[in-house]
Amino acid sequence: MKKSHIQHLYNRAGFGILPNTINGLSGLSKARVVKALFDSSKKIDELKIATPEIDAYIAGLPEKKDPRVFRKLVKDSRRKLVLYNGMWIKRMAETKQDLRERMVLFWSNHFVVRTRNILFAQKFNNTLRKHALGDFREFVIAISKEPAMLDYLNNQQNRKNSPNENFARELMELFTLGEGNYSEKDIKESARAFTGWSHNFKGDYVLRKRQHDFGEKEFMGKTGNFDGGDIIQIILEQPQCAEFICKKIYLHFVNDTMYEPHIKELAKVFRKQYDITAVMEYIFLSDWFYEKKNIGNKIKSPADFLVGLQKTIPFTLEKPNQLIYVERLLGQVLLEPPNVAGWAEGRNWIDANTMMVRLKLPSVLYKDGTIAFDVKGEFEDDFEEFNKKNNLSRRLPATKKWSVFNENYGFLSYRDLASYILNGVMNEGTKTFLETLEKTSKQEFCIQLMSLPEYQLC
Amino acid sequence: MQRRDFLKNSGLVSGALLVPGFLKAFDGLPSLITGNKKLVIIQLSGGNDGLNTLVQYHNDVYYRQRNAIALKKNNLLHITDEIGFHESLSSFKSLYDEGYVSIINNVGYPNPSRSHFRSTDIWHTASDSNEYSKTGWVGRYLEQVSKNPLGAIEVDDSLSLLMKGKTINGIATKDAKLFYKTARDPYFSKVIDEYENTHLSEHNLGYLYKTVIDAKSSASYIYEKTKTYKTRQEYPKNSFGKQLGTISEFINSGLKTQIFYASLGGFDTHANQLNAQKRLLKAYSEGITSFVKDLKSTGALKDTVVLTFSEFGRRLKQNAANGTDHGAANLVFLMGENLKHPGIYNAPANLVDLDANGDIKYEVDFRDIYASLLQEWLKTDPSRILNGRYKTLGLV
Repeated sequence: MKKSHIQHLYNRAGFGILPNTINGLSGLSKARVVKALFDSSKKIDELKIATPEIDAYIAGLPEKKDPRVFRKLVKDSRRKLVLYNGMWIKRMAETKQDLRERMVLFWSNHFVVRTRNILFAQKFNNTLRKHALGDFREFVIAISKEPAMLDYLNNQQNRKNSPNENFARELMELFTLGEGNYSEKDIKESARAFTGWSHNFKGDYVLRKRQHDFGEKEFMGKTGNFDGGDIIQIILEQPQCAEFICKKIYLHFVNDTMYEPHIKELAKVFRKQYDITAVMEYIFLSDWFYEKKNIGNKIKSPADFLVGLQKTIPFTLEKPNQLIYVERLLGQVLLEPPNVAGWAEGRNWIDANTMMVRLKLPSVLYKDGTIAFDVKGEFEDDFEEFNKKNNLSRRLPATKKWSVFNENYGFLSYRDLASYILNGVMNEGTKTFLETLEKTSKQEFCIQLMSLPEYQLC
Repeated sequence: MQRRDFLKNSGLVSGALLVPGFLKAFDGLPSLITGNKKLVIIQLSGGNDGLNTLVQYHNDVYYRQRNAIALKKNNLLHITDEIGFHESLSSFKSLYDEGYVSIINNVGYPNPSRSHFRSTDIWHTASDSNEYSKTGWVGRYLEQVSKNPLGAIEVDDSLSLLMKGKTINGIATKDAKLFYKTARDPYFSKVIDEYENTHLSEHNLGYLYKTVIDAKSSASYIYEKTKTYKTRQEYPKNSFGKQLGTISEFINSGLKTQIFYASLGGFDTHANQLNAQKRLLKAYSEGITSFVKDLKSTGALKDTVVLTFSEFGRRLKQNAANGTDHGAANLVFLMGENLKHPGIYNAPANLVDLDANGDIKYEVDFRDIYASLLQEWLKTDPSRILNGRYKTLGLV
């Protein structure tokens, strides 16, 4: 397999690949390389953060809640979410399960939730990890029982006598079928099927029988005493479901411009068993995935951009909150999606401000440069302390592991370094420009490469 | 394809590319702007408590539901025998008395969301509550009418959904000089120098370079146009005052930008509301009064309308922490010299006819206000920008 194709595969199926790993794979056939990619992702390695105080509180759940203790735990949970965000970025940069972690990031922007409860956030994240390459039907059922989802889309309030349609609507509109492929009646009837789907204080799923509507429902032309699982089964029987999911997969993994014939091919594969692995394998083994138009033309998400920096030159910011600051300036704070539809990808990531931040960030992180932008906090003043500093003296002190860079990239020529860092996205003009740069240090050169518009693509 | 043909076909032909000189960034572009009307949008972020902003001081229900946080009749600034402003709004009340303010009560939308994020999205995109739009209504105005990122400026350092179009985004800056300095970073310039000959043929790459060039030329345009103008008006020394001072300088120095957006945060008063709201309304009142006086003195007020909204109001019944929780319909203020309904546009909230959550029901759809501003003020067809037909209310 061609080296450039291996790099393309790992850019899209993972978070990039190191020069030496490419060299190790380059003698193998495409089938072998792809098999190795899937084999290495078989393991499920949960991402866990210790929450002893919250655990203790839940274990000894007192009969009367003390609001002061509770408020303290809410604060603790917020802090832990910030740490979990950083751990997730680090996980993506360091993982050996490239494909699984890539799928987790993908699914987190498909099955979208937002919660202030670190336990629920963590549980949800690991449910994505567990099902990321598995059976899509089981996946949908699992996310429907997640406390983060039940809360986020108000299924906790979905009761027999006063159904709440929020979850049922988004299940079809955003998670499985897409707009226009169901009726308002389907929403009403399916909402009834999910009544009583709930969770307890610990976050375990419970069916509250007295709130569940056991009556007959009429859904998509079928009649029966359906519950949520039956509804999901019927949804998956609709051909639009496989097409909807495959379109999303195509846009994320292949190209942000649609190409219907390829999406139809994928949907045919997916519909057979709703096996996520099967459809992903089909993509990576296809010839069209490696066509020129599909290489190096996707705009990296902020998460991809940060993970890429982290992977090439590992860095740790002084304070965990500073990573959130950076993510916010870039327009994507992990675990804080803007709404249930998730982040709009592709060109939507880019405006004048985010673009300037992207071009500036490598020198801020690695060369002690300054960054002059304020950031909006949420509704409390999260960044007040940072914002009030004089604009021109704001720095983001980070410890960098240059040794990792030196080991992985130090042996390359300047030319090869440019080619690896920019994924081969470089034409004559950029080459000319690069020649004008001083080449006294590979570290310096790498920072400059990372500050190019080309680096925003993969 | 020859480069020149590519340029013609790609629509890039009109940018700063072929017309060097940052002053052309706006002046040289085709746009459908009619007249020189300005719209300033202010968001009171976090959900301002409208019921304690404009108080129904003869309403027993108000006092019953808010025993600890209800404002006393004697402390209010009465405007009728029934209602009065919060005491912090004294300078705002003078503007009101002089006819520069319209108050529209009970503004909202069907099936209101009580999430800050979601409801802010809805106000920004002008969508229904179960619809997810990726563009803001101002972003769509840029696309349809201004045809240029400089058509709208958010006075902040990052861009809100309000300002995002499909292919054109507004500009965010709260400090023209700093923005200019950042964009003029020598490294950016070097990167762009190579642009013209080399990168145009690439799809997404071309878009990225175009964004850098736009950022640079917009920053230059704003800086060069505004650097010599300094307002003579005093503004309160807080960040909101500073933002308004910046907008005034942008308007008075002749920027062609039509729409400005700024927000004042902190209104999420779940606990100990009285002090927090008192401080925030004071900042709002003093800032906006300086702003109106400033524009009045330069003559720019006749071409400016200010819209103030909050993503939702707050619940009538106070909570146990002497605060209020997220509610639904709320007040909107319009300010300017050309108001058709100075004073109270419609009756204040009905406190006995609440929705299932105990919140104020909406009576005026916020998109009708947008439609009115688009049609009556900016003189453009609202249906192209708001996805659907909303009625105009004869406001300006």
